[in-house]
Amino acid sequence: MIDTWFLYLGFAAGLLFIGLYALLTMRNMIKLFIGFEVVSKGVSLALLGTGFAKNNILLAQSLVITFIVVEVSLVATALAIIVNVTRHTQSLDIRNLTKLKG
Amino acid sequence: MNWQIPLLCGVVVFCGLAILAKDLIKAAIGLAVASVLLGILFFTMNAPYAGVFEISVVAGLITVLFMLTIALTKAEGEVRERRWVKIAFPLFFVAFIVIDVLVMKSLLSKVQVVASGAESGSFGDVLWKQRTFDLIGQLAVILAGVFAVLALFRKKDKHD
Repeated sequence: MIDTWFLYLGFAAGLLFIGLYALLTMRNMIKLFIGFEVVSKGVSLALLGTGFAKNNILLAQSLVITFIVVEVSLVATALAIIVNVTRHTQSLDIRNLTKLKG
Repeated sequence: MNWQIPLLCGVVVFCGLAILAKDLIKAAIGLAVASVLLGILFFTMNAPYAGVFEISVVAGLITVLFMLTIALTKAEGEVRERRWVKIAFPLFFVAFIVIDVLVMKSLLSKVQVVASGAESGSFGDVLWKQRTFDLIGQLAVILAGVFAVLALFRKKDKHD
């Protein structure tokens, strides 16, 4: 049983790495947010993989659905912020936000 | 199980392509394909509701939101990424996988907190009876998201 769990968590860790790599190295705000989406896919996979391996799939499913709803709300808000920031700074470059430093 | 490993590999490959693609629309499409594959994977794991949500909401709605944002910000031009980012990605990724394989199995064998036991009842029982407060939280988060988007796109008054 631990092999199945190991497989899911290994792939979930790979997705987390890809997302974190994008968040740490990219400059385009939309790319950064795509990185965040990849991280959230890894989290969904880890939740459901653990539920599947431990015979708790129903609970894992309800947690994943809650997570997806939160994710959608977050994506809508964050993309609206990106559009507004882009209108102000005339660029998608995240480095322009350093002007916000106090 | 036979189908799961190719699906998992597909999810990782398309997520990697989404990160590395230069064109933002291609990146968004890569992310959508990865979501569809993840949804199919959820179906193979006996989690049809999570699969439906993943395919309809994440692959559908979020991709549409990404496309809209890309269309609204297209006039601002491209952002130059650093050169080494794409070249270094495979090296870092392989190094991470090697460390992951070496470390994770020994770590997982030490985890004894997660109890394993068969569940009773249906998905509806778990969602509506056991996780009722989650649903209230979901409602609050959706409302917060709606109000946040309304506030962000509010037009200026004449007096401002």
